Amino acid sequence: MIQLKDVSYVRLGSPDLEQAENFATTCLGLQIAERDKKSLYLRSDERAHTLCYSEGDPSDQTVGFEVENEASLQDAASTLESLGHAVHAGKAQEAEQRKVKAFIGFRDPTGNHIELVVRPERNGRRYFASRDAGITGFSHIGLNSTDPLRDEKFWTHVCNARVSDRIGDIPLMRVNAIHHTIALVRAPQSGIQHINHQVETNDDVLRSYYFLNERRVPIVFGPGRHPTSGARFLYFRGPDGMIFEYSVGVDEIEDEATHRPRQYGFEPTSFCMWGSKPAGMALPNK
Amino acid sequence: MSESAKNRTTPLIASVCYVRYAVSEPLACARFVSDIFGLQQVADRDGELAFRSDDRYRTVSLSNDQGDGASIGVEVWDEAALQEIGERLHEHGFAVRTTNADKCRRRYVYSALLAEDASGNRIDLVTRPARSGRRYFPPRDAGIVRFQGIGLRSTDHVRDLAFWRLLGTEVTDWVGDIAYLRIDNLHHRIALYPSRRNGLLYAAFEVEALDQIMQNSYFMQENQVKIVQGPGRQSASRQTFLHVEGPDGLILSYVNGIAEVGEKPRPPRQFPLTATSLCNWGSECKGVPELSART
Repeated sequence: MIQLKDVSYVRLGSPDLEQAENFATTCLGLQIAERDKKSLYLRSDERAHTLCYSEGDPSDQTVGFEVENEASLQDAASTLESLGHAVHAGKAQEAEQRKVKAFIGFRDPTGNHIELVVRPERNGRRYFASRDAGITGFSHIGLNSTDPLRDEKFWTHVCNARVSDRIGDIPLMRVNAIHHTIALVRAPQSGIQHINHQVETNDDVLRSYYFLNERRVPIVFGPGRHPTSGARFLYFRGPDGMIFEYSVGVDEIEDEATHRPRQYGFEPTSFCMWGSKPAGMALPNK
Repeated sequence: MSESAKNRTTPLIASVCYVRYAVSEPLACARFVSDIFGLQQVADRDGELAFRSDDRYRTVSLSNDQGDGASIGVEVWDEAALQEIGERLHEHGFAVRTTNADKCRRRYVYSALLAEDASGNRIDLVTRPARSGRRYFPPRDAGIVRFQGIGLRSTDHVRDLAFWRLLGTEVTDWVGDIAYLRIDNLHHRIALYPSRRNGLLYAAFEVEALDQIMQNSYFMQENQVKIVQGPGRQSASRQTFLHVEGPDGLILSYVNGIAEVGEKPRPPRQFPLTATSLCNWGSECKGVPELSART
């Protein structure tokens, strides 16, 4: 079984790095780690980077997960190959671009581009935000799935993900104590549905709501509260249509051995207990 | 100050215990207060509709009596305190009237003095306001816990402040000339807003948590109720709030998480009259000048 430790980074293609940089610094509030002609590295926590834009097609979207060591990486490669997934062994230069020691790339059953990495770099200097959004770190992703039942099986049987809760047949899955690191979202094609950053307090969620509204950033869902994880949230749209989320107060699963996934009906109150309705963002499964 | 006041070991006043509104359409307002805002209607007596929000018999009344219909109830500690306050107000030139059994009955209190501040706001100083043995049972799940306090319009904030100080309240903080007044361990129970006219600005009701502030905000949007301001958070008191407006310009507020005042005395803090002093999340008030930062 492939032991995922945590989500590590997201890589996104973009035709307009300037726009991406402008949004990331003035709206989202990330810190620029590095910037050159063809790429933009952004920090959100103690890691050297957690989001990287590179010049290219916005449909190029990759999620990196950390595994224990190079032996685990080799085991993962054999497991994936035996199941018929084509595995790309990362070259030294590619690993350098990702600021990791080593990595492999493959596609999940829906076709999402996934990378498994070893020893992603940290940065000795603390994270210093470009605006006071209160970000404490990159935390999870929403991942498109053309068949949630099949993909849940992949993430929980081939990998070590566990289902924390389900809304309809959409699983919210954890790889550590945090309620979810991967949320599957039913969609007609592969892709990253949203990128989550945690913030310090409720105040940050509400302040950003008013702040982003004033700057005419489309708010697509929230401010709201998920009854599943307990997190207060705000979803908004960034460059190339990517949806970003701020949230705070996501539960931890206290007892790994005895936790049973709860089943929520597929309805608006299962996504928001405050009563906010998605606008310009499809609810998973719809 | 009389001998009895010097020897007091208890405060002169205990709480703001009710608000009585005189409105032109009591029935339309009543629907707003119960069906929309979520208070429990308990009585319809002497032309006044009464509503509960906690273990008190009633905290809100509505009538169309523009004469004796509008007032704010302040619970005085005991009869001695009532007498003391009466003397103090009289000495300082404020109007104070004694009252009769009928007016006390109408207010659900044991005894009362009817006072006016310098702006002409009617303040009922009352003893032993009625409580109810039955628990509060609201018409909808708005999460209301209790009546917390009021915002009051003031046309003469120096004299009005003097009035409230005679009752034993203290200023905890200023936003411009808006004064937050405390009477117990909470940051404030009364907020005095400089205004061109007098009258009650809002009555505030504590809800269980931020969840209820937000749920009520979406509930109001869905029911096309005017949100005057919020969801927001007051910078000085740290309380989250949502001000909503019903018929007749009636403003009611949900609040949660007000700061408590510590043991150690501190001077009132001065905040400038800017939008971020009134709400540090960034909400702005629409259409109510007292709640807006004038630019």
